[in-house]
Order: sequence, then C-alpha cells, then structure tokens
Amino acid sequence: MVTAQNQKLLTGNAAAAWGARLAAIDYVPAFPITPQTEIIETLARWFDAGEMQGKFVTLDSEHSMVMAAGAAAAAGVRVFTATSSQGLVYAMEALYTISGWRVPLVLVNVSRALASPITLGPDHNDVLAARDAGFVQLHCESCQEVLDTVLMAYRIAEDERVSAPVLVNFDGFFLSFTREPVEIPDAEAVRAFLPRFEAKYPTFRASQPLAQGAAVLDGATYTYFRYQLHHALRNALEVHQQAADEFEAHFGRRYGPVETYRLEDADTVLVMAGAFASKGKAAVNRWREQGRNVGLLRLRMVRPLPDRELVAALVGRRAVGVIDQNLSPGLGGILFHEIAGVLAAEENRPAVLRSFVGGLGGKDISSAEFDHVLATLDGAKTGSADPELLFTDAEWRQMQQRLAVAGKSLEAATP
Amino acid sequence: MRAKREFYHSPKDLPAAEFLSPGSTLCAGCGGLATLRLMHKVLGENVVVVDAAGCMTMLTSYPYTVMQSSWLYTSMSGASAGAQGIRDALDILLTQHRLPETDNLKVLVLAGDGSTYDMGLSATSAAICRGLDFWYLCYDNEAYGNTGFQTSAASPLGAQTSTSPGGFAGRKKDIFEIWRAHQPAYLATVSAHEAVDLAEKVRRALPLAGPKLFLGLAVCPTGWGFDPANGFEIAKLAVETGVWPLKEFVHGQLRHTYIPSRFRPVVEYLQPQRRFRHLFEPQRRDDVLEQIQHNVDAYWQRVATEAATT
Amino acid sequence: MRPDHELTLMLRIRFHGRGGQGVKTASRILDTAAFASGFQVQDSPVYGAERRGAAVAAYVRIDSGPILERGVIDRPDLIVIGDETLLADGGAGVLVGQQAASAVFVNAPTAQLAAKLETAARLVTLDITERTLRLLGKASALSSGLAAAAARLIGEIPLEQLESAVKSELAELSLAEETIERNVALAREVFQALPAIEFRPATGERPAEQAKVVRLAYDPPLRSAPTILAPGNAAQRKTGDWRVERPAIDYERCTRCGLCFVACPDAAITLDEKGYPVIDYEHCKGCMICREQCPLEAIETEKETRSW
Repeated sequence: MVTAQNQKLLTGNAAAAWGARLAAIDYVPAFPITPQTEIIETLARWFDAGEMQGKFVTLDSEHSMVMAAGAAAAAGVRVFTATSSQGLVYAMEALYTISGWRVPLVLVNVSRALASPITLGPDHNDVLAARDAGFVQLHCESCQEVLDTVLMAYRIAEDERVSAPVLVNFDGFFLSFTREPVEIPDAEAVRAFLPRFEAKYPTFRASQPLAQGAAVLDGATYTYFRYQLHHALRNALEVHQQAADEFEAHFGRRYGPVETYRLEDADTVLVMAGAFASKGKAAVNRWREQGRNVGLLRLRMVRPLPDRELVAALVGRRAVGVIDQNLSPGLGGILFHEIAGVLAAEENRPAVLRSFVGGLGGKDISSAEFDHVLATLDGAKTGSADPELLFTDAEWRQMQQRLAVAGKSLEAATP
Repeated sequence: MRAKREFYHSPKDLPAAEFLSPGSTLCAGCGGLATLRLMHKVLGENVVVVDAAGCMTMLTSYPYTVMQSSWLYTSMSGASAGAQGIRDALDILLTQHRLPETDNLKVLVLAGDGSTYDMGLSATSAAICRGLDFWYLCYDNEAYGNTGFQTSAASPLGAQTSTSPGGFAGRKKDIFEIWRAHQPAYLATVSAHEAVDLAEKVRRALPLAGPKLFLGLAVCPTGWGFDPANGFEIAKLAVETGVWPLKEFVHGQLRHTYIPSRFRPVVEYLQPQRRFRHLFEPQRRDDVLEQIQHNVDAYWQRVATEAATT
Repeated sequence: MRPDHELTLMLRIRFHGRGGQGVKTASRILDTAAFASGFQVQDSPVYGAERRGAAVAAYVRIDSGPILERGVIDRPDLIVIGDETLLADGGAGVLVGQQAASAVFVNAPTAQLAAKLETAARLVTLDITERTLRLLGKASALSSGLAAAAARLIGEIPLEQLESAVKSELAELSLAEETIERNVALAREVFQALPAIEFRPATGERPAEQAKVVRLAYDPPLRSAPTILAPGNAAQRKTGDWRVERPAIDYERCTRCGLCFVACPDAAITLDEKGYPVIDYEHCKGCMICREQCPLEAIETEKETRSW
C-alpha cells in the first residue's frame, strides 16, 4: 500500500541505487563518470556495510565493465551497472556483444551530452546511440520512476520471452542530482514482485560445458541470431505490459510504454522524453488555461518502439511537434524520424508533423521556446522534416560574446 | 642448465586426457593450438576458456566447438574483463551456496599477442592488480595473425609482415616484464616443443591463487613461412639461439628454467623463415642481423650479471 | 583492346579449392586475362575461416557489358574444382547450381569420376597436380593451372593474354622470375591440353525448387542464443580431407616413446591400450610434425591417395 510516510527525498542517483538494492542484485562491476558516480558510491557503501550481499568491483574502463557485467550474467547472477555519455559509447562494442549473448541485466545510463565539445550537461544523444545495440530502452521522467523502472527492468530482462539486457535512462543533473519525494517500497513487497534471481538459461558450470558467443561464418546463421534478438525485444512490449500490471497491483503506480497527458480532446500534441517532459506538461497546463486543446505524449519506451501506442495517441490530431533533446548531424531529431516512420502508413496521420531540437547539452527549454513551438505548429499547414532549433536571441548574443572572447570576433575572422 | 623437474620427467608422464577434440579449422601445425592442448592437459577438467579475438576464436564456430570445456568469446580487448565477471559470479554463487563446489570452474583467458600486448593490456593489467584468480595463456605468433599477419606490438625487429613489408623496424614489447611489474602469483614463458617444461610450469602454478600468466611462443607456419612439419624445430631454434628465453616468476623470484650451454647463432633461427628471408636475399642485411644478435646477447649478459650478483 | 566479338551471355565461373592451393590467384589470373582481352570483369574470393587446408572459393564474372551482379554465384556456367576431395565435403558446396552449368572441370588424374558425379554438365578432367608437381616442384601451387583450364574452356581468352596475366598476377605475389617462367610454361601446357566448350545460357533452365521467402518466427532463447551445448562436436568435421600427404607409423620401429602423441597439435594421435600411437586419419591434417618429432624416424610420409 502506498503511504506518504514511506516517502524520502532522494536524488535520481539515490533512487537508482535503491532500485538496485531492492532488486537484491548480486554483482556490480563499476566505473565512475559524471553524473552517475553517486550511484556506484552509494552501492559501494552498502556492500561495504554488509547491507548488500554479493560483490562490487571497479573495472579499468566502461568497456571492461560492461563485458564483466555480461559475463557475470552469463554465469548466472543478477547484475547491475551504471554509466553515462562517454562511458556508454566507450562500451558500445560491449553493449552489442552482451545483448547478443541473450543474458538479462540492467544498465542504468544517466544521460549526458557527448563530446566534442566535452560537456557535463544532459541530452539524449548518448542513450540513443545505443538504440540499435539490442537492449530494451526505457526513459524516466522522475526520481520515483527511476526506482520503479529499475525494478520493472529486471522483471522484463529475466522473462524468458525477452532474455535480453535493459537500459534504464534518466537525465543527468535534472534528475541525477535533483531530490524529489520518492516512496521506497518495502523489501518484502518487492520480493513478491521480483523473486530472487535464478537463471533460467544454461550458465557456466562444470557439469554442463557450454560454448557461448560462438563465431558465425555465414550470413544466414548471423541473420537468424540477430533477428531472434529483434523478436525478443518486440516481446518486451507484452512483457512490459504484464510487469506494469503487476507493479501497479503491488505498488499502486502505473507505467506504460508511453504516458499520455491531457490528450483526450487535444488537436495539438507535443512529444517529449525524459525529465523535460515535466516542463512540457507545465506548458500544456498553461495553454489549456488559455483555452487551447493541447496535450503531451511522453515516450517512455524507446526500444522496442511502441508503434501501436504511438499511433493510437497521435492519429487524428491536427498537429504534432516532436521535441528531440538530441541531434543527428545531417538529419535532425532522432525520435522525430522514428515517429514519422511509424505514422507514415496511417491514413489519419497528423497533417502537421514537425521536428524541434532543443535542450542540447543541458540547455534549458524556456516557456518562450515552448510558446514558439506551439506558434510554429499553429501556423503550419503541412509537416516538415526540417528540424527547428530552439535557441533564443539572448543565448545567441551570449554566444557571440564568447566567440569574441575566444578571439573569434567577426572582424578577427575576416582576412 | 635445466631446472630440476618436480612433477614430470618425460613427455610420457603428461596427463593423457584430451580437452580439445580434433576437427578445428586452425592451420595444420598451429603452434598456438599445440600450446593450448598441452596446457589444458595439465590444467585438467572444469575449465571455462574466455577468448579474445584472434586465431583461436575459430575453435568455436557455430555450430561446432572443439572445446570439451566451456567457452566464452568476448571481444578483442575484453577477455580479462569477461574473466573477471565469470570468476566473480562463480564466487558469489559458491559463497551463497547457490552452486555446488563440484560445479566450480577454473577461468582461463586465451588471447593472441595482438590482444595481449596492446588492446587487452588495460583489462589484463587491472585484473592482475585486483589479484583475480585466473589463468592466462597468450599464444604469441608475433603478429595479428587472424587478420592476415599484420604487425603487432609483439612483432620482432626485422620481421616482415603485411604492414611492414620491408621488415619491422621497431622492437618487440616486453610483455613479460610489464606483467612481472604487477607481481602476479605466477608468470612463465613456455614453448610447446618443450612439453615437460611447459607441463611443470602449469603444474607448479596449479595450487596458487591469483593471476597465473603464461606467454607461449606460438610458431606459425602460415605467417612465418615454413613447412608446418618443421614447427617444433623452429621453436627449438628460438630457444637454443636465446631468442625465446624459458623462464618463470613465482614467489617473487625470477629464474630461467632452461639455458642452453652454448647459444647457437641467431641466423640459424631466422634463416628458415620466409618472414626473415629479406634479411638474406637479395642482399644480406648484416646491419639488422647484427642488431638482432646484439639484442639477444645483451639479454643473456644481463641474465648472467644478475645471476652473478645474487 | 576490344574483343573480336561480344559475349552472348555473361560467363560466371566458380573456383573451388583448399586454402594454400592458389584458388584466389587463379581467379585473378583468369579475370586479368579476360580484362586484357577486352571484357568487363569482376572477381572476388570467398572469405570464411582463412586457413591453409580449409575449403575456399572464388567467383569470376566476365561479360561484354557492365556487370550488375555481386557476391555469390549460385548458377555458375563453369565450375572449376581444384581439389577433388572437396566433392566428398558437403559443406564446400562445390556442385551447388551445377544444373545451370555447361561444364564442370575437376583437377583429377582420370575421367572415372564421370560415373560418380551426378551432373548434366559436361565433365572435363585433367591432372593439374601432376603437371604442377613436375613443372613447379610443389603439388599445391595450382593457380596457373586452374586459371589456364578455365581460360581455355570458356574459349574467349587467347593464350597470349593468359600468359601475360600469369606473369602480372604472380609478380604481384613477389614470386621469383624463374618461378613465374615455370608457371607460364605450366599454363601453356594446360591450355593446350584442353578444348573450348560451348556455353549455353545458365538462365535457360530454372531448377525445380525456387527459393521462397519465409517468415522467421520467434525461437526461445535456449535455441536462439549463440550457444553450443555439444562439447567437442567439432570432431564431426573431417579435417583429414585437408591432407596432401599422410604420416604412416612403422610399428616395427616404434618404441612407444609417445613423443608423436604429445606433439600433435590437433590431438589426432591417440595411444592404444598397449601404448602404441594410432593416427586418426579422419582428422589428421598432414602437418607431419609427428614425423619430425619421432626420434627413430619410425614415421614415414605417404602421398595422400585420392578419395575418388
């Protein structure tokens, strides 16, 4: 039962650590990187104090860390690990490798923009770079959701129909270092939802020699294995649904592959992911007060892409604006293109489907920029794949000053 | 000088059991395969081999495996990290009585020189420093063999490879010394033609906890350019000319387990190999040959000096 | 140089052999000769497990106009088999698509294969190995001979272009002048020993079964993880086919020292209950390390007898 007294003020990092602790994980191979480091520091303290059983070990790099994580899962223990940004892409080879082994584990990514230039602020290019790596991918909006999603992630990963790793993403700074009220479920209640781990697949043991990760020398064989992973991730839609049903029954909170916010009669819909969806909801509330029928769709599950839920939420609307906190140089916003692909065959797809890129590197998306999004959608008659960058005049003035300080004023640049 | 035998006195004393089946697609006469086979005989059963990308990756190519043991292919650089994960997981399961001791496994990292000397060094260095209880066999054929024999950090001075067509002008990285600086529980060089020496070393390492590292000269008929039948002879020349020292480091002490009473000239080892032919034809490259001989001589002089002062 | 006439159909040639026999070089010699003869060409080797002794293949396409095909040749006009032991190796697929072929060439000493091979194509045999051994001193350097056979059979390539191609391709491999000369002589001898063949269009006859696209359904992870649950099953792979020569133990001289057993890298020697070494000829790759290690010279070399 949910009660207010169970709530503590936790950062997103602390919530993630609690999720791992309640999931009774066995093994944490770790490597520090801002802004996730607090997660592993918290876990290290708990292991040290004997409050968690198993092992915590620091590896030499994120690539090694992910490889150790997958190998330990292949040997039959419940594994948790965390990284961000540079670390996630450093481990990219290992992500593909371990998902191909079809072993369950949870990897938390605390989103941070990618170098170059190097920065600490959040956006979603890091986690989206991993969207083809064969992991289920879930994005959180709040610290509560972080804790809850880590628990659900184990249920999904370990289900035989999936048997694949899960990547749980939440934004650096806006969630990682931000405290919010979080209910920490009772350990026994969690045990009922997520029993102790017992591998349902053959693991490394002397009595049953097993060769894992065999080399494959022809295309048909390779195709078989890769496509089965695709099936497994598609199965995660149904498995997530069942896990969400049970989670709600146990803990009273409901999660779907998408979250709909004030969509009922909306003619205009914003699509967002992550913590800034809260700001999107605030903008929706503002516009609703002005009499506008606007809603927001938060994309929570990125892989598998919940095409049915997206279609159900977006067809029949006049205008949809996807706000991507990521940028694929040369293309534009990544989620926009995925959603456009899902809608392409739909008869009643929105006449106006527009792409906005904002919040890169942790840049704010102000109410003025939200208003600009709505105004653009209002004024548009057709869709467009051209991304509109959300960047204000004040920010541009500031950038010009910085360029000048860096010796790059326009006068200096002209020969 | 030959170290006193503790466990085996002749090749016939080696354990008879086989842990690799025939039918691999590795080259006929593969020195690396010969080394792994012998090592595994002494290592015994209940092994999981954690492999890095290299020639040996072909031991398990779907749907066939040569291994009677368990096997995990990781990546080019990640084998020692994979070993960490398996070892930790087994230890957790054993501690918590979720796995019977009879199901425990020895963890053996299997990597070529390509992985060992460069890309895999980070993960291996960290594993050694953490005191990971694991075995490591580097089959050193002195190049990136599986990709067609390109220069690696293990390539010796003068060796011709596909990326050093004029002969490699650098020097072979001393991975033995790098590992030794980590103070592992056990460290040795081996050669498959010296089966008893190899077996003694594995046997000596068996009761030790911690990193047990083996560096094996893996003669490579395909890459080095000689008739596979002569593999053991070439390996023998590597040792008899002093190019490949047979040594071990255990309990903080370094010793050589075999020192030829009289070293044969290095050219006897180089000449039969196509990868060194350019040092003899069309012109004899005395400058390089002398440098190679000098480097070998200098090593053994240092060995003699250190022996004299202890 | 423009050819005397246009090709009426694209010629697709598929070479088969074992690693180390020069199949890739053969395909390049043929392609270079065809190119020099004025045709459009395309050649590619099939990369699998790159190992001396393992089955390898190479594709050559020759046409008068642009070649818009890529990759596997599953309907060859000419199949060139450099190593007849591959006929017994299902995995090598040397006869895939033979219904489309006009000719199958096999490097073999006699034509008695004809009865055993089920093919509508014309079967041509010639002992390239014997000529290679005689002229080059090495049984395995088959590239010039195989290329010459293909060049002659397809009938469009003058001897002069073939010889030129042999020279230029072998020069790329940094072979000695003298060796190249001998290869040219070998190519000439093979070329002159064979006839030209009429090629009918490969597309004329469709095979009975056509490939269909199927739906690949979900499989549970026990099957669909890339794991193997059959330890040591590689023994099903008969690598004994790789051999060109085999070790034979003289049990009269053998003193059961066990050195051959210890030395065999492939565990293809076992010791019987009396301690005598027994060679597993199904797997022995013929590296002959055992022969070299035997202190009593009690292991001899025998030329490998043909499987057919």
